[in-house]
Amino acid sequence: MLSGIIKGFATKIAQHLLSQNSWVNAMLQPFAGKSVQFNIAMLKTSVVILEDGSLAIAGETNTPDAIVTIPASLLPRLLAKDEAAKMQIAVEGDTHLASELAKVLGNMRWDYTEDLSRVIGDVPAHKASQFVQSASSKVKETSINLAEMLSEYWQEEKPMIAKKRVVEKFNVDVDTLRADAARFEKRLSKLEKLSAK
Amino acid sequence: MTKDNNTHFGFKTVPETEKAKKVSDVFHSVASKYDLMNDVMSAGMHRGWKKFAVSISGVKSGDKVLDIAGGSGDLSKLFAQKVGNDGQVILTDINASMLSIGRDRMLDAGINVSALQCDAEKLPFPDNHFDCVIVAFGLRNMTHKDAALREMQRVLKVGGRLLVLEFSKVWAPLSKIYDAYSFKLLPLMGKLFAKDAASYQYLAESIRMHPDQEALKQMMTKAGLTKVDYYNLSAGVVALHKGYKT
Repeated sequence: MLSGIIKGFATKIAQHLLSQNSWVNAMLQPFAGKSVQFNIAMLKTSVVILEDGSLAIAGETNTPDAIVTIPASLLPRLLAKDEAAKMQIAVEGDTHLASELAKVLGNMRWDYTEDLSRVIGDVPAHKASQFVQSASSKVKETSINLAEMLSEYWQEEKPMIAKKRVVEKFNVDVDTLRADAARFEKRLSKLEKLSAK
Repeated sequence: MTKDNNTHFGFKTVPETEKAKKVSDVFHSVASKYDLMNDVMSAGMHRGWKKFAVSISGVKSGDKVLDIAGGSGDLSKLFAQKVGNDGQVILTDINASMLSIGRDRMLDAGINVSALQCDAEKLPFPDNHFDCVIVAFGLRNMTHKDAALREMQRVLKVGGRLLVLEFSKVWAPLSKIYDAYSFKLLPLMGKLFAKDAASYQYLAESIRMHPDQEALKQMMTKAGLTKVDYYNLSAGVVALHKGYKT
């Protein structure tokens, strides 16, 4: 029953986001009445598409038309917008529905300036969102610089991480060794057959 | 009289022919204070439950909506805003006292909603007519719930939705507190605010006799609705069931 309260709250958030992204309604309307279950790490939730194209959290006994599973290990890569990670998302059932919904959810934006302006007014909200944007871009930039610095240190000064070209060379060497071993095995079995005759 | 011709009126068993009259008497009695009592009884939560039902309905501009047992017209008012000038909302109730309050309220607010007194078990509408039919806190008072659900399914268009907002089975750990509230406090509040303890005693009893979440889901499925799902609101005090005509 506690989940009901959480669901109600989640529905409110989803509907608020949708009201800010009304373009999604037209895209989702053809799928009205269908639902998708998202299994994201430990979290399991189903979203249903309503007849006006809006989204709501599904009820207690909903049977999903599609299931999207995103393992926890994939989340950091998805947040970093790694395109290769998207290919590893598992989709069961109506894949067209799931991919459309994922596309829509991926492009939805929270207009927090608009929400904030209702509380503190337009100008302070604009200033605050500018500050947040500039602060977040500074944090991102600093994080990248720090990561690059550490990676360089651990590769060059105190080698703890293998360099990309070294890993690639190692992979090529392994492939060559695997091919050589396979050839050797074949030759050996050929010789065994000959000696048996 | 056979057992088959009896039905529940709260915890009492009465002949089917008498239930409608008894329910009608209850609502004639509470009509003038109905909204005040709803606010007092639910601490204003009934407004949130109704708004949630409207948000889940998927009703859009131009749709036709039938509000059954709509009484004082809370839902019709919300739906009228959704359907806009191109749509239509019809407010119905079997009880003339309740309906006249709803109709007057709509007129006073300048909202274009038709009000019609009719029995939900024999709806005077053609087949496949509405995009959405809703019955909020009305189904439990109906004598033949299965017949009423079949009628609601009949008047829905293919792809249309039936929404049933009704008191239901509360989350087990809260059931003792809820019982004390329903059978001790509710009639007392009815006596204080509406000068009518007996009617509010009936309301509490009728809630307990109403099918729980799963049973109502089965009834809706049996009435021909598909993809029936429900939401528990306020820990199951109320449940919103939604089913489709396919």
